[in-house]
Amino acid sequence: MKKLLAIMMTLTLTLSLAACGNSDVDSTDAEANAETDSLLQDALANASTETGADSDLAYVTDKGTLVVGITDFEPMDYKDENGEWIGFDADMARAFAESLGVEVEFVEIDWDNKILELDSKSIDCVWNGMTLTDEVTSAMECSNAYCNNAQIVIVPADTADQYQDVESLSDLSFAVEAGSAGEEEVSALGLNYTPVKAQSDALMEVAAGTSDAAVIDSLMAAAMVGEGTSYENLTYTVGLNSEEYGVGFRKGSDLAYALNNFFSDSYANGTMMECAEKYGVQAAIIEQ
Amino acid sequence: MEQFLEQLPIVIQALNVGFLQTLKLFFVTLIGAIPLGLVIAFGSMSRFKPLSSVVKIIVWIVRGTPLMIQLLIIYYFPGLVLGNPIWGGGETGRFLAASVSFILNYACYFSEIYRGGIQGVPVGQEEAGLVLGMTKRQIFFKVTLLQMIKRIVPPMSNEIITLVKDTSLARIIALQEIIWAGQAFMKGSQGISGAIWPLFFTAVYYLICNGILTVLFGRLEKKLSYFK
Repeated sequence: MKKLLAIMMTLTLTLSLAACGNSDVDSTDAEANAETDSLLQDALANASTETGADSDLAYVTDKGTLVVGITDFEPMDYKDENGEWIGFDADMARAFAESLGVEVEFVEIDWDNKILELDSKSIDCVWNGMTLTDEVTSAMECSNAYCNNAQIVIVPADTADQYQDVESLSDLSFAVEAGSAGEEEVSALGLNYTPVKAQSDALMEVAAGTSDAAVIDSLMAAAMVGEGTSYENLTYTVGLNSEEYGVGFRKGSDLAYALNNFFSDSYANGTMMECAEKYGVQAAIIEQ
Repeated sequence: MEQFLEQLPIVIQALNVGFLQTLKLFFVTLIGAIPLGLVIAFGSMSRFKPLSSVVKIIVWIVRGTPLMIQLLIIYYFPGLVLGNPIWGGGETGRFLAASVSFILNYACYFSEIYRGGIQGVPVGQEEAGLVLGMTKRQIFFKVTLLQMIKRIVPPMSNEIITLVKDTSLARIIALQEIIWAGQAFMKGSQGISGAIWPLFFTAVYYLICNGILTVLFGRLEKKLSYFK
C-alpha cells in the first residue's frame, strides 16, 4: 500500500514536470506560427522596422484580440451603466482594434504591475492616460503623445491661500503615488514626501491629516476633489510641470508604429477630436 | 447624508459582486486544498526517503515564501520566462492562477495540520489493530481518520478563517475581489469618486462571513466531542 502510494506520488511529480516541458514546445510552435503569419502582416501593416518572428502586430492579429490594460479612470476609461467600458481612451482603443481587424478586450490591471503585465503578454498595451515618464519610455515602446496633462498640488481648503506658488511648498510633507509623474516632480524639487500606493491613497493621506499635501493628475483632481466627494475640504493650488499621455506597448513592438499611423489618420479626418469632445478633453489633445 | 443614501445601493451592489469573487476563491481553495493536503501529508510521512524529502522541500518553499510572491510568480512567470502566457489576460485566467496559488499554499499548511492529527493518535491503537489482523488501510479509515478529524478541527478553523481574509491578496494580480471593489470608489467608479467609506465597509463582509464560520466550527467541534 505504502509502496504503491510512493510510486503514484513520484509519478505525479514527474508528470507535472513533464507538463512544464510541454509548454516550451507550445511556445516554439507559436513562434513558428508567428513567423508564417508575419508575411501577411507585413502587407497589412504597410511595412515597419520590425519583421519576422518578433512582430507583435502579427501576434495580435493572429490571436484575433487586442487586450488593453486599463484602470477605472474617468474620463479616459470607465464603465457606463451597462458595465461597458467607455471614455476617450476606451473609444479610441476600440477604433484602433477595429482598424486592425481584431476584437478588443479591456482588462483591469494593477497599475504598479503594468510593465509586468505587458512583458508576460497578459495584456498587449497600456492605454489609460499614461504619463510618458522616463520609467515608462525606457520599459515600453510608446506611441506619440496624444494628450496634455499637469501635476497639481492638493491641500486642505482652509490653508490653500498660503500655498499659491512653488516656493511656499518647501515646509510641507507630501504624499504621492509611488512611481508616478507626481513623485518625479516632488523629488526633483527636493520636497519632503512619502510614496503611497495610489493617487487616491495620497488624497486620503491629506484628508486624514497624515500628510500636508498631495500631488496628482489635473484630469483626476477635477473629478475627485471638491463638492460632492469625500474630499470637499480639499482644493488644488499650484500646477507643477505639465506632461503628456501616451500608449505603451511591449519593448520593440511594431504596434506602436501602427498606432501612430492610426492617430495621425484619425486626427486628420476629425474622428479623434469628435471623440475628445464627447468626453470633454478636447482642449488637452495634441496635434498628430 | 442624502448623498450617502444615494451612493449606498450602488456601493453595496459593487461590493456584493466583489464578495462573490472572494467567496468563489474561498470555496475553490477549500475544495482543492483539503484533499491535496492529505496527499501531501502522506507524502511527507512516507518511509520512502526520496519522496518524503522532495515533499518536505516543497512544503518548506511554499510555507517559507509570501503568498503574494507566489501569486506573482504563478501568474506572470509562464508569460515572462517561457514566452507562453498560459493563463491569458482575462478575468478567468486571473481567477485560475489565483486558485492554483491558493490551493497549493493552503494544502501545504493543511498537510502539516493533518500530520499532527494523524501522529497524535496513540500508536497503541495501530498496534492493537495489527494484532486484530486489520490491514493498514482498514486501520487508517476505521480507527485513525475520525479521531484525526476531531483533533484537527480547532487548528483547521483557524486556518480557514485566515483564508477568508487572505483572499484579498489576490488583488495583486488584479483579481477583482471585495477590497478591489471597495478601493475602486476612492479613485472613481460608476459616478462615485473620492469616497473612502466603501473600503472600510468591506470589513463588515469579512466579519459576517467569519462569524458564520466560527458558529459552524463550534457546532462541528461539539458533534465530534464524544471522542475523548
